[in-house]
Amino acid sequence: MQRIKKVAAVSAAVVLLGGLAACRGSEGEGTTEEGIKTDFGVTEEPCPDAVNPDNGCIYLGILSDLTVGPFSPLAPAIVEAQKAFWKRVNEQGGIAGYDVDVSTYIRDNKYDAQTTVEVYQEIKPNILALAQTLGSDTTAAILDDLKASNIVAAPAAWSSAYAFEDIILESGANYCVETMNAIDFAKGAKPEISSIMSVHYPGDYGDDAAGGAQYAAEQLGLSFTSVVTGTGVENQAGAVSQILTERPDLIIITTGPREMAAIVGGVYAQAQTTGYTPMVIGTSPTWHRDLLGSPVAQALQLAYFQSGPWGPWDSDTPGHRAMREALGEPETITDGYTAGWVWSYPIKAALEKAAENGDLTRAGVFAAAKSLTSVDYEGMLPAGAGNFAAGPSGQVKATIISKPDPESSTGVTPVTDLMVGPTAQGFTLTEPCYEMLH
Amino acid sequence: MTTTIEVISRGLGTGSIYALLALGFVIIYRATRVISFAQPALMLAGAVLVTYLVGPLGFYAAVVAGALGTALLALVAERVAVRPMLGRPVFTIAIITIGLDVVIRVIAIAFIGTDLPQVGDPWGLNTVNILGATVEQRHIAMVVITAALVAALFLFLRYTRIGLAMRAASFDQEAAMAQGVSVGAVFAVSWAIAGGLAAIGGVFAASGGAGVGGTMWIIALVALPVIILGGLDSLVGALVAGLFVGIVQSAVAQFQQYFPSWVGPNVAAISPYVLMMIALLVRPYGFFGTREVERV
Amino acid sequence: MSSMVKGRPLLYTSYEAEMALLNTRTKRVWFGILLVIGAALPFLLTDATLQTFSRAMITAVGVIGLGLLTGYAGQVSLGHAFFIGLGAYTAAVLGGDPEGRRLGFGITELWIWLPAAGAVAALAGLLVAPLAVRLRGLYLAIVTLGLVFVGGHFFNEWRDATGGPGIGRSMPAPTLFGYELGANDSLFTRDQKLYWLMFAVLVVFGLAARNIARSRVGRAFTAIRDRDVAAGVMGVNLTRYKATAFAVSSFYAGCCGALLYVVPGFLAPNGVFNLEVSVLFIAMLLIGGIGTISGAILGAFFITFLPTVTRLIPDVVPFISASPTEFPNVFILEQVLYGTLVIIFLIFEPRGLFGIWLRLRNYWKTWPFSY
Repeated sequence: MQRIKKVAAVSAAVVLLGGLAACRGSEGEGTTEEGIKTDFGVTEEPCPDAVNPDNGCIYLGILSDLTVGPFSPLAPAIVEAQKAFWKRVNEQGGIAGYDVDVSTYIRDNKYDAQTTVEVYQEIKPNILALAQTLGSDTTAAILDDLKASNIVAAPAAWSSAYAFEDIILESGANYCVETMNAIDFAKGAKPEISSIMSVHYPGDYGDDAAGGAQYAAEQLGLSFTSVVTGTGVENQAGAVSQILTERPDLIIITTGPREMAAIVGGVYAQAQTTGYTPMVIGTSPTWHRDLLGSPVAQALQLAYFQSGPWGPWDSDTPGHRAMREALGEPETITDGYTAGWVWSYPIKAALEKAAENGDLTRAGVFAAAKSLTSVDYEGMLPAGAGNFAAGPSGQVKATIISKPDPESSTGVTPVTDLMVGPTAQGFTLTEPCYEMLH
Repeated sequence: MTTTIEVISRGLGTGSIYALLALGFVIIYRATRVISFAQPALMLAGAVLVTYLVGPLGFYAAVVAGALGTALLALVAERVAVRPMLGRPVFTIAIITIGLDVVIRVIAIAFIGTDLPQVGDPWGLNTVNILGATVEQRHIAMVVITAALVAALFLFLRYTRIGLAMRAASFDQEAAMAQGVSVGAVFAVSWAIAGGLAAIGGVFAASGGAGVGGTMWIIALVALPVIILGGLDSLVGALVAGLFVGIVQSAVAQFQQYFPSWVGPNVAAISPYVLMMIALLVRPYGFFGTREVERV
Repeated sequence: MSSMVKGRPLLYTSYEAEMALLNTRTKRVWFGILLVIGAALPFLLTDATLQTFSRAMITAVGVIGLGLLTGYAGQVSLGHAFFIGLGAYTAAVLGGDPEGRRLGFGITELWIWLPAAGAVAALAGLLVAPLAVRLRGLYLAIVTLGLVFVGGHFFNEWRDATGGPGIGRSMPAPTLFGYELGANDSLFTRDQKLYWLMFAVLVVFGLAARNIARSRVGRAFTAIRDRDVAAGVMGVNLTRYKATAFAVSSFYAGCCGALLYVVPGFLAPNGVFNLEVSVLFIAMLLIGGIGTISGAILGAFFITFLPTVTRLIPDVVPFISASPTEFPNVFILEQVLYGTLVIIFLIFEPRGLFGIWLRLRNYWKTWPFSY
């Protein structure tokens, strides 16, 4: 009996090990087709559910916060918009005989750096580039690997730090410049403004905007206070009390929508007794259409402006029209869709240029992306946007200011065109703005 | 003076949310000797349910219906996941309630989707003027409703049969069973009441324009220091400690700007925990808890 | 060392032989096989899988620490995440670039910053001990939870050391006497080298924990767990041993934290060291089998590989959509599966994975008479 058992155990182990030995295959393929070089993420077989069954397939990955992180309400819309964008590209013939697939390698990063590294490693062998990576520290966690492997990535964020990374293809003005433009607009609309307060989350989202606000305040000779606040509606009482004590004329809010509503609500609840009605400008992530159905709506319509890197859903540009056509009538319209759509243009431009150069390897796509002097955003961003070749000085600086409007699809309507204020015009980006904050 | 009134009214308002959640924790603990970490998820689920019901039913009916619905959910959860585990170490059951929390929370968040749903409370941002201080109406409403609920709870425990059964079971489970008390029913009722209270707490947390968001459940965690301060098995302690912690937090937030910068902003968020640790150095069983008697 | 009587493997002829770490031949043989397989895996598996293994092994070190505290000494602690974070940041600060934006001392030698991370965490554990000694049960659990929140607040605020939420900082490159373990070189890839490092650390720490458990200190722990008042009456110095338990478990946690983030190489504070992490470690302990070291290791592996497995399951279930805007979809299913699997496991196998292993082993041992 003992011998039989021993023999059985040993043979099982041998079979297992033999099976495992096959796992560590060589990494990297190198197929050639019609003279276009490819390595990872490009196949001759059509994509699953391909629009053009005769085309090959380019696979792009998406790492987004889909279930439990703080951006989980917005992220699915971003993903849907990207899927619709690339479906339109495929319907127009794809890129150099390849359809683009963004659906197969979508992974939930739960807004956590560790999970991002895990899921990134999972999809990495099969993708050519990342169509989306959401979260600054999550992106930072994989940034070194992205650079080492030449995997180009479009971030779902507007941090000024991305200007310094060639591998990251960001779109739209960063929070820093956006805040400078917002302050220029406010000063133009209300010249009597003399004090600014920036209420923001810690971290590169909030600190970036605060850095920009501080710079603008210094340039314009206004007084400036920076107030850091946390996530959660119940944690805004400190910020509200500081606002009511210092009474700044302009408040720049860089938080999430519920927190912004709590702050504006807290301040304006006292408005009748105090008579204090400051102007409030929030970055685009502070807005949600449903706020117009809440008790804060009145205060928001009175005092709130939104700064954003491009026009909201209803805007009339070729790009917006194409987006509305591609997405149809989603149940809840948010500017998450707009963002996902716009963020996809640089990747498309990079892929097209790489195909033109005959090199759809990762290194080829990276080289093509670095060499782009402009990207065609179909009117959603001004001409000259997407100048990645110029590095930090080629960054877009244009911002649109909008006001709450119950009639519009996403609840805001622009009151300016894409504008660049004098402060931003004269500003040179030499380091990430959040490092400038003191 | 006006600042004091404002601080206290805000504190009582948020404190009543903590008190409601703490009462839920304590009720479950008294019956089963387990801390149910599923309360935050039930709070979120209750608030989400109310946002769906407030359209057709109006606010007050929606809150009642939502509380009942969440009580039902809590009952089901207890039956499915907790009941089979009785007799196991308390610790294991606590982890199971955490698993429940994850499951319920993820599903509730999925129902929120991309919206920012409102609970449609009638108080909104309206304020009243009390002795020169601006006090938000909803805070007053929250305190009043909480007081009414607590009074109802005490009457329930005192004068109904099942209330008597619950008090007996929390005192000594075996003796209660020997007297014919259905301990299973006691467990079920405890979870149901806790679920209902959590739902109402969730509605309060979402009132005033804040809406229901996926991160709302973190508020419920403050109920943990509250029950420690009050004593794990004391209902009165949960109420008093809840209101007290709310006021302390509100005061810390008000004077946040005067603290030295190294403390960091938003100290109000951790003030309940610091308070708890200080209090425990003095009274290890909370201010109203029964001192455990250990037999060798 | 084992019996000299042939065919009577369980006959011990001396006390030392019975109490030895590997007292039967089977144990010695299996231990040897495990060591060989463990060392050989980097030649067989892909880098991505090796990364998961590395994380599982170093997590196991943390779980072993918690197992000593909660499993052996019976002190419920929800504060493990705080000590892990403390270890991680100590390592990051010690090994960080002195020229960089964050606080750094530039000491990248592994044999300095790893024990230092553990020592700092152990010191924190000792500081907590006086409070912990006075409390028990759920009160202790919730107070340690408070540690996590307060600690988390300071991690977020101390931007010079941690980089602040959303920014973070990189972890030190592990070098051993000048040899770079954190980078690919001509012989081995980074993931292979890190795997071996974690494997070595796990073996050393695991054996140490086993030894602690079967020593006088370990016996004091189990006495405290069973009935601490009785243990006190018998002469076990409660304060000293509870403090030792906290210190040792925090040391393990600190080392775990220091190495855990070396695998991705990056660490950001927002909400990373929170209640969920503490709970995760407790779950690993319970699922693996509380009160045993092997159980702790099994639990760590199970939970670390669970997300990979749950990501595979939705592919084979038909009515789940792959699109994140529809409901239900694969991503929600993944999360729900995670919570449900933990619940189901605890309901149906209270002794954890170790209990399953015991059952398998007994079946095998007594086959074909296993009735």
